[in-house]
Amino acid sequence: MTRPRFSPADGGVAAELTGEEWQALAAALDQFRELLMMDSDPNLVRLEPPARPDDPKAEQKYREMVSDRLLQHRLEAIELVEAGQGHGLLDDEATAAWMQTLNGMRLYLGERLGVGDDPDAAGEDHPDRPAVMLYQWIGWLLEQLIGAASESLDDPPDRT
Amino acid sequence: MSAPATSTAPATPPVAASTLPVIERSDSPVAGMDPGWLVIVWDDPVNLMSYVTFVFRKLFGYPKEKAHRLMMQVHTEGRAVVSSGPKEKAEMDVFRLHEHGLWATMEPDR
Repeated sequence: MTRPRFSPADGGVAAELTGEEWQALAAALDQFRELLMMDSDPNLVRLEPPARPDDPKAEQKYREMVSDRLLQHRLEAIELVEAGQGHGLLDDEATAAWMQTLNGMRLYLGERLGVGDDPDAAGEDHPDRPAVMLYQWIGWLLEQLIGAASESLDDPPDRT
Repeated sequence: MSAPATSTAPATPPVAASTLPVIERSDSPVAGMDPGWLVIVWDDPVNLMSYVTFVFRKLFGYPKEKAHRLMMQVHTEGRAVVSSGPKEKAEMDVFRLHEHGLWATMEPDR
């Protein structure tokens, strides 16, 4: 049985990536940061969906209000993930940073691989094999992280 | 925006309003000032179902069952209203959903 890379722990989630895995992820994080900063790849579209598709003026206003903040938060999240090097206890903030970052990369890769038009696009016979592997691997990590982090999410107590 | 004072019937309130107990609050907005906003999450082929459920629980504090039901509604019907409230709250909710990579929009509650 494969050892889980994320498991519930006292005070958060324990991360345990192998050295090889961390190297792969660190390289992907580097590229993701560069993509976000360049902001020219059309496959990033899913990371900034419209908030007000019904009203172009309101949409533009909303964009102006949040675009920089959204990018800033994403870059800070990447830094927080990098700081832990794939090891140790993730508190709530670090767990959120990991989730948003892994999911953000998946959204980018999914768009690049054409999953939007064909949910099965990211399969064996896709020509961009490295991207398919990364997409699937990140999904595998993310599922484990969600499982581990869900343990610490309590349902709200009944108000009496 | 403000509603003119009038003795005739005001605009139709949201259906649920009349069934709710009246809560007296000094800072209650004047009826009609803020129409209320709906935050909607749309189905997409990339986000994991477990992730969407998790985000609903974390951001809105929904019990597991409710979060799961909303996720399934997004998945099967293509969209679901996940929260509502004044414009500022809706904008904040949309922002936080976008931060988490969910496809969220907001619209006036007509």
